[in-house]
Amino acid sequence: MQWTRKDLLSLYDLSAEEITYILDTAEEFKKVSERRVKKVPALRGKTVVNFFVEPSTRTRVSFELAEQRLSADIVNMQAQASSLLKGETLLDTVKNIEALQVDLVVMRHSAPGAQAFIARHLSCGVVNAGDGAHSHPTQALLDIFTIREKKGRIAGLNVTIVGDIIHSRVARSNIWGLLKLGANVTVAGPATMVPKEFESIGVRVCHNLKDALKDADVVNMLRIQRERQTAGFFPSTGEYAKFFGLNHDTMKYLKPDALVMHPGPINRDVELTGDIADGPNSVILEQVTNGLAIRMAVLYLVGCVKK
Amino acid sequence: MDNTPNLLCTAAVMHSAIRKLAGEIFKLIASSNGDCALVGIHQQGVPLAAQIRDVLKAEYNCTPNFGTLDISMYRDDIGNRSRLPLIRETSIPFDVNDKLIIMVDDVLSTGRSIRAALDALTDYGRPRLIRLAVLVDRGEPEFPIRADFVGLNLTVPADHKIRVVFDGDGGEPGIFDVQWPK
Repeated sequence: MQWTRKDLLSLYDLSAEEITYILDTAEEFKKVSERRVKKVPALRGKTVVNFFVEPSTRTRVSFELAEQRLSADIVNMQAQASSLLKGETLLDTVKNIEALQVDLVVMRHSAPGAQAFIARHLSCGVVNAGDGAHSHPTQALLDIFTIREKKGRIAGLNVTIVGDIIHSRVARSNIWGLLKLGANVTVAGPATMVPKEFESIGVRVCHNLKDALKDADVVNMLRIQRERQTAGFFPSTGEYAKFFGLNHDTMKYLKPDALVMHPGPINRDVELTGDIADGPNSVILEQVTNGLAIRMAVLYLVGCVKK
Repeated sequence: MDNTPNLLCTAAVMHSAIRKLAGEIFKLIASSNGDCALVGIHQQGVPLAAQIRDVLKAEYNCTPNFGTLDISMYRDDIGNRSRLPLIRETSIPFDVNDKLIIMVDDVLSTGRSIRAALDALTDYGRPRLIRLAVLVDRGEPEFPIRADFVGLNLTVPADHKIRVVFDGDGGEPGIFDVQWPK
């Protein structure tokens, strides 16, 4: 196949072939960061706007570094400093950005579908860096890339995602991507955060960590946002850690060579204990490294295809 | 539009041109002191470089380093293509510094690919000498770039493409003239 999309909005839209295409492309971009000269001229002369209407540090830094390694010119915009606060609509803001002849907009927004909306109205490329609880395609791609790199395949693997599934764009994106590539996906966590309705999209739902971890090849421990506690989704972080945290005892349910993943930032001793985060099964920092390669690949593909 | 490939050279002529290239490359390697490497440019420069490597080993007992180069990230027509082909493996498993490097491509046409390949290669280090070997020289460069080793000089109309099919590529091996799909 050949790449033809000008936007990356959600893994829900992509075929298994397109997802694999991005992963294969990222393998070559990963090597660029391992070279003496960590830069290629693929986006030379192109301008990328990083428009983060919702705050972000890790994802923004990863995108920014990816853009620099592709030789793009970069403009960073944050909601606090934009005219959105003066009452301008989102569409007017991005239309104004496009009028400056930019080539790509990387956007994070709290409203699901915001990027798909602007992509329909812009001729430049749009990359979704997270839209509410809906989608975070580059995070899922880097997770899947890391699994494939370590396990050699995706099809047939048992992947368990533990945490606040209902509010998680990382979970949704992983589920879409993993199912398309043939993995068996289990989601686990308290019933308040992991409703049975998820079964309708083809995943197994567990409210017991032991059942969820049994025979898992990969476990992805999602970050628990402490504000969910005050909203009543779980009684305390201590209780969450006791029932759904990965620790020395619950690690025993996993296969010995299982991968432990976390999208970061980690709450040590909540989602998982520090010794496991730093232990031999953990690939958490490799996820960060691979995120750079995935973002370079995505920016290359959507930035270089003829608009 | 007639897209039927027109045979320009048979497999036998192609093989003999590859052997000639290998012989000339061996003379350069033998006269140089220090390490050397063959680097094939994707896509068809890679199987060509592999064939040259095989001839060098079988007939001259010469075993240079071997690498492959994808130039997609360095092309000057990025943004003008509505379909992006998959980036293929770049593998430079040796230190390029101070080496004699023979870049290998199947067809020298505009010279733009070679310009990109020079940029890609020099991002790995500073070779002592870079030389270019091509199976076919079309003789119509748009850049001031010439090959040092040429298997065959062939001319086809500007809107045609020269396609090289090696053994193992599937289909009849040989060198073909095809009308470039617009």
